[in-house]
Amino acid sequence: MLLFREGSREAFEELFSRHHRAVVRFAWRMTGDPSAAEEAAQEIFLRIARAAPTYLPTAKFTTWMYTVARRATLNYLRDTKEDWEKVPILSDGEGENGVYPVQLPGPGERNPEQVVWEAQLTERFRTALGELPEGHRAAFVLNRGDGLSYEEVAQVLGITVQAVKTRIFRAREMLLSRLSEDVSA
Amino acid sequence: MGCRDIRETISAWVDGEASPEEAALVREHLASCERCGLLERQMRAVGAGVRQVRGSVPDRFREEVFALLESEGALPPRKMVFPAAWRWAAVPLAATAALGFFLLTLGDGIRERATLPTTTARMESPGTSAPLTTEDREMIALLDFLEDPADLDANDDTEGMELLVPGDSADSPNPARGIRSGA
Repeated sequence: MLLFREGSREAFEELFSRHHRAVVRFAWRMTGDPSAAEEAAQEIFLRIARAAPTYLPTAKFTTWMYTVARRATLNYLRDTKEDWEKVPILSDGEGENGVYPVQLPGPGERNPEQVVWEAQLTERFRTALGELPEGHRAAFVLNRGDGLSYEEVAQVLGITVQAVKTRIFRAREMLLSRLSEDVSA
Repeated sequence: MGCRDIRETISAWVDGEASPEEAALVREHLASCERCGLLERQMRAVGAGVRQVRGSVPDRFREEVFALLESEGALPPRKMVFPAAWRWAAVPLAATAALGFFLLTLGDGIRERATLPTTTARMESPGTSAPLTTEDREMIALLDFLEDPADLDANDDTEGMELLVPGDSADSPNPARGIRSGA
């Protein structure tokens, strides 16, 4: 990024090669739509390029990149008039005694039936993810999807680590509740 | 700590973000609470689920991004290849120019020598245009005389001289040119 700031086009091409998949994935998880994700990802790289002159290496580049990415997707979602507060945060104890009737595959469980079931579940999961409040979705996606630590997520979102911990827990609860509704229906 | 109070800590523990003290509490609770044990597995599964939402990068994505950045003037211009090449080309170009100049100069010298008309002119000192004196002309005439073999043959001073050549004889078909044997 510093080389790009000094005017190296090749540095930006290298930066793009390294990070464009992660940026597209993040945009996809945040918007839940392929064309929207592509448009948002383009906006993210435009913002990164424009912000280069003022970039200061005070944090990891990826943390800064996700900060830009999150703001870009947030603006995109606002521009497309998503009501990202429409899903209320669940109260404690939702789900009977904190246990949800949904059966989820474990990381090591893969057989043909499981793969088909996972494909269906992935689609339901994507829908449920899109229904989370944006701040909870961002925290959960950044941590579980992109591998950022709670501390890094806190930097990206501009909140405390405790708030990240709470948002991720709430996101889990809401996802399990939503997926349980699908099972019950 | 009851189930409701520890669930958020279980979520952080699943993500590897619990402190050692919190982790000890979670392990202790899970060892005795089957319901929270099931919730812990569901939390892990739902965490893994987000990684299944990957999407894909369209083939044209790179071209579209760079076209957008170009149109917005957000990219520095691509470096020209030629300036660097010309910088390195200067060395052979200079060498070629020097060689050409040398050959042209050499050509002039050859032409100058080729146009020198007579022995008289050849005897003139290069770079001087002073006219020849009478003494000079006599010396040149003498030198011309000495350079003419026919004149040597006509010189009687060689009469009576013997040419001693191994195997040579009076019958030799090729007596040394310009030297008459006394036999």
